[in-house]
Amino acid sequence: VTVRITLTGPFPRSEELVGATRDFDRGRISADALEEVYAHAEAEVVEIEKRLGTDRLTAGYLRWPDLFRSIAEGWGGFSVGPVTRWFETNTFFRQPILNAPPERTAGALSARLPPSLHKEGAGRSLVVLPGPYTLAGLLDNRSGETAQALVHRLGRLFAEEVRELKGKGFATFEWVEPLLVYQPPTPTLAESVIAAYEAIGAAAQDSLSLLWTYFGDAAPILPLLARLPVSSVGFDLSETDPASITDRLGGRGLGLGVVDPRTTLSEDPGHIATIVRDLQGRLHPPSIWLGPGAPLDLLAAEPAARKLHVLAAARDALSTTRRVE
Amino acid sequence: VTAPLFPAQEIGSLMKPRWQLLGQRGAPLDDAAKIDFERWDRTLGFSHDSPDAARALLAGRNREASPEAVRDLGALFALRLFEAAGLRRVYDGEARRIEMYEYPIRQMHGFQFVGHVRSFDNKYYLKAANTDEVRLKAPYHIEEFDFVRRHATAEPKLPVTGAYTLADWSYNEHYLGRQAGWKGRKERREAQRELIHAIARHALRPTLAALIERGCRVIQIDEPAAGTHPGEGDLVAEGFNVATEGLDAEFTMHICFSDYRNLFPALLEAKRCRQWAWEFANRDRDGRDGYEVLNVLREYKDPREVGLGVTDVHRDDLESAELVADRIRRAVKILDDPRRIWVNPDCGLRTRSLDVASAKLKVMVEGAAVARADFERPRA
Repeated sequence: VTVRITLTGPFPRSEELVGATRDFDRGRISADALEEVYAHAEAEVVEIEKRLGTDRLTAGYLRWPDLFRSIAEGWGGFSVGPVTRWFETNTFFRQPILNAPPERTAGALSARLPPSLHKEGAGRSLVVLPGPYTLAGLLDNRSGETAQALVHRLGRLFAEEVRELKGKGFATFEWVEPLLVYQPPTPTLAESVIAAYEAIGAAAQDSLSLLWTYFGDAAPILPLLARLPVSSVGFDLSETDPASITDRLGGRGLGLGVVDPRTTLSEDPGHIATIVRDLQGRLHPPSIWLGPGAPLDLLAAEPAARKLHVLAAARDALSTTRRVE
Repeated sequence: VTAPLFPAQEIGSLMKPRWQLLGQRGAPLDDAAKIDFERWDRTLGFSHDSPDAARALLAGRNREASPEAVRDLGALFALRLFEAAGLRRVYDGEARRIEMYEYPIRQMHGFQFVGHVRSFDNKYYLKAANTDEVRLKAPYHIEEFDFVRRHATAEPKLPVTGAYTLADWSYNEHYLGRQAGWKGRKERREAQRELIHAIARHALRPTLAALIERGCRVIQIDEPAAGTHPGEGDLVAEGFNVATEGLDAEFTMHICFSDYRNLFPALLEAKRCRQWAWEFANRDRDGRDGYEVLNVLREYKDPREVGLGVTDVHRDDLESAELVADRIRRAVKILDDPRRIWVNPDCGLRTRSLDVASAKLKVMVEGAAVARADFERPRA
């Protein structure tokens, strides 16, 4: 089995970009000057990704203010709401407010993807999107739709999005679903989650789809995860005990969040390799993706880059072992 | 003599006036900044305690209006603004502080700043990693307290960032690194407990002791991170207890924008905390539902004072005195004792303009007077 490494969401902004966004907000630099810094910062992330051999490029999603803003600003029915805590972290997102049933706007999401991804080639890129359950659960629903109907509808809209993005050459999609494990759905709502992913799965045929969970223990919902038609399921191993992953997940690939962005403490690649080998031996997944347990932008840029190096070292340790064997 | 019901207090920071920012940078004041200075000075008379610095600042004589002198003027301004609004307890609007995390952490050994982390949008904070045993360089906030004590006419209440928040906003390397094996939730929590205790024991407590030694009688421990992890009320209480152990002062705890219920009953163990100063107005609607969470104190028969957030610090809309009074009435109904209630803004007013902040504080005091009339009216 090939072991790949991937990001699970945004990479932190560089100190230079932090300064530039502040300067722009204070009217000290122009939009063009800010754009130059963005382009440079994205190129730096792409360079790190290429050097370390991440399987798909992300360019760090540096321009995204949060996971939901591209939807809240790009689709119909939404407005952008108050600053809201992002799970158990000291980071925040602006809560999307759904004022009417959501409507997809063609081209809106594609236009908000990092420009570097279009430049580097859609086929080599990772499209990161909020999962329908997490989006439905964290928005302020004033649309009158029930939670079940909303999850299902968002699944259908994301399916249309996938079709459009596939048409532009994108072939790998990551669905970010922390709420699935932080606040698992009721049985009724779980059926809507399955229906949403079935719609997405039908659209995503012949492409790779990773569903990544974090900020909670996934063990209690393994049976649900095994029913979702995605290529791989990702776990935050700082929250989910690797020993508790006993389900083969219907032959799906494994995403393993083996570095923890909640601490600057560096993980040991050898220790990671041991854990991965154990899971590999027990579950025989068709593919393994090593990633951060949660998005690396919980860290500053320099320690985040160190975590990426740990991922690459762990992958290399596993590859070396395999060759020796 | 019984003290009047519903005394008013502030919670934390005020926006720094533009003349202070310019003056501290050594930049000359433009006309707008001068007009603003003079307008507030006519109302508050804050420059009376430092007339030379004020004259020098307005005249652009930077050598005489040193950054320190301008900063002192900023502190006097905030003090007088609070006092003019009619607050019983005041501080300096945190005129000397940039923020509430970086400064205290810089007063300690055992931390290294690792870079900026995004809070939201284009807002960031400089975050440190705890890499070694925590040791205090020197007690902090001393100079600012001395200044406030010398100049305040109302009672000073000093805000200090709590150990739980300082630990939660830092990366934990040193103590987590000592935990053997895989670092799961259990290991992270244990390491966090060690860091909280270390900050509380080795940095916060000696600082509080030094402040008390200099005459500080009322100290507000700020724990804005308290609600971040729902199951960690015990750690918040432990940090508070270790920091205040054996100290003789009146301690309050400020928490905001959190689900307070998640902290109970564990938070009850913060025995030396005399007052919970919480945000409510932000979540309040017509039915006064924002105050329902006070029932948690009733359920646990907790008799402590409440610093009642009656003013929303995230909106410019001015509450009416009647709305403030209604919020107080609702709280009295739940707590069943008007003597337990202080009134305050939900949090620091630094995000509001100074005009809005001043107006909100005045309405708060007026609203308290309206409610007071209800409860102090002689009964037939």
